[in-house]
Amino acid sequence: MKNIEIKTTQQRTNPLANVFDRFMQFCQSRSLFMLHYCTGCGAIELPPAMTSRFDMERLGIQPMVTPRQADILLITGYVSVKTLKRVILTYEQMQSPKYVIGICSCTVNGGMYWQSYATAKKLNDYLPVDLYIAGCMPRPEAVIEGLQLLQNKIANNDGHSWKDYFQNYDYYLGNQQHLFGEDWQTPTDIITEAKHYGLEAEGTYGKHTELLAKHQHPLQPLPLKTNN
Amino acid sequence: MNLQSNDLLKKFKNIKVTYVRDRRIRVDISHEAVANFLGMIKGQGSYIHLSAISCVDWIKDNEFELVYHCWSYEENQLISLHTRINRKEAEMISVYDIYKPAEFFERDIFEMYGITFIGSPKMEKFILTEWDGMPPMLKDFDAEAYVMDTFNWTDYQPDWLKDIEKEGGGIAIKPEDIRFHATSPSPTDD
Ligand code: SF4
Repeated sequence: MKNIEIKTTQQRTNPLANVFDRFMQFCQSRSLFMLHYCTGCGAIELPPAMTSRFDMERLGIQPMVTPRQADILLITGYVSVKTLKRVILTYEQMQSPKYVIGICSCTVNGGMYWQSYATAKKLNDYLPVDLYIAGCMPRPEAVIEGLQLLQNKIANNDGHSWKDYFQNYDYYLGNQQHLFGEDWQTPTDIITEAKHYGLEAEGTYGKHTELLAKHQHPLQPLPLKTNN
Repeated sequence: MNLQSNDLLKKFKNIKVTYVRDRRIRVDISHEAVANFLGMIKGQGSYIHLSAISCVDWIKDNEFELVYHCWSYEENQLISLHTRINRKEAEMISVYDIYKPAEFFERDIFEMYGITFIGSPKMEKFILTEWDGMPPMLKDFDAEAYVMDTFNWTDYQPDWLKDIEKEGGGIAIKPEDIRFHATSPSPTDD
């Protein structure tokens, strides 16, 4: 297991505030809502992990059904190129801070579908992945250990991969465009969000975001009408 | 319906009937006669269930083989009807009029092999709605080459693995088993 180094850079000067921050991080790490996006066969190990046999809930991790109210996006197995689009839309709808976990060898390197034209390899090209749990498929114990690792990361103020999506948006967008074509656009305007969170960085902009800006049309509210 | 004693079979030229097993009959027939034959075994036999149409790409013979699997609930018997068509023209008469489920099987074969079924109600994309390359099940589609220049690979020996190896963990893989090396820089950096 990897040792987690504690980041002290963001400590505030007031010691009381510091304690408060640590306390908040601890609480946050013990209350995680998990959106399990069951893309592949690895999802089979989740019901036992979540329910009475292995009982994830005793660690404070609960399943959630919508992306807007979830903290963790759990990708369970192979991601086809078509699904990957939906996964990205789902990820972008989640509120920060958010974490991505790739379960199964298929999310690491395509697994046994490494030769398939339809399966995306290497999930972290397209999304900032916090943690991979390899295995074909990983046992519930491994899933739970992985989630505990994530909890430790959050408690130790180390779970900041989600910021990477804003700070290096051009890289992720570039890979997405490479796979989905140049007219790829999601409904979420990541650059505006990055500005809003104060997370703009050098990597936010680049030639891929320029390409996006050329054809991006702003999201319109749906017209209000009744069906009669 | 006993195919062996059936006079109806005499209507078909170039037909070859093989009794594979008790409940399994293989019929080879020319592609013009497929619709006629299916109409007969459905109408006069009891083969009412077309459970699948499968396709094989015989690239060296320059032919596609289509297999129609028909099941009878009365005889408890499966007839698989084999036929071959030209690979270049890649056209076949639809059997949608005889078996309605053929619509989906034919549409599937259309997108995976590029065979057009004349008279099929909806010859368009089915599952691969976001794919615009060549039909991927064709033997001359090189999936591996496509994969190699579309995707990146995770490195087998990343730096962070050393920390884990120090603690006794790690990946056990022989160098000769490594299929690919991480392609860095990423394909988008060109
Ligand atoms: S790693 Fe194995 S279990 Fe997991 S999605 Fe891939 S094939 Fe299925």
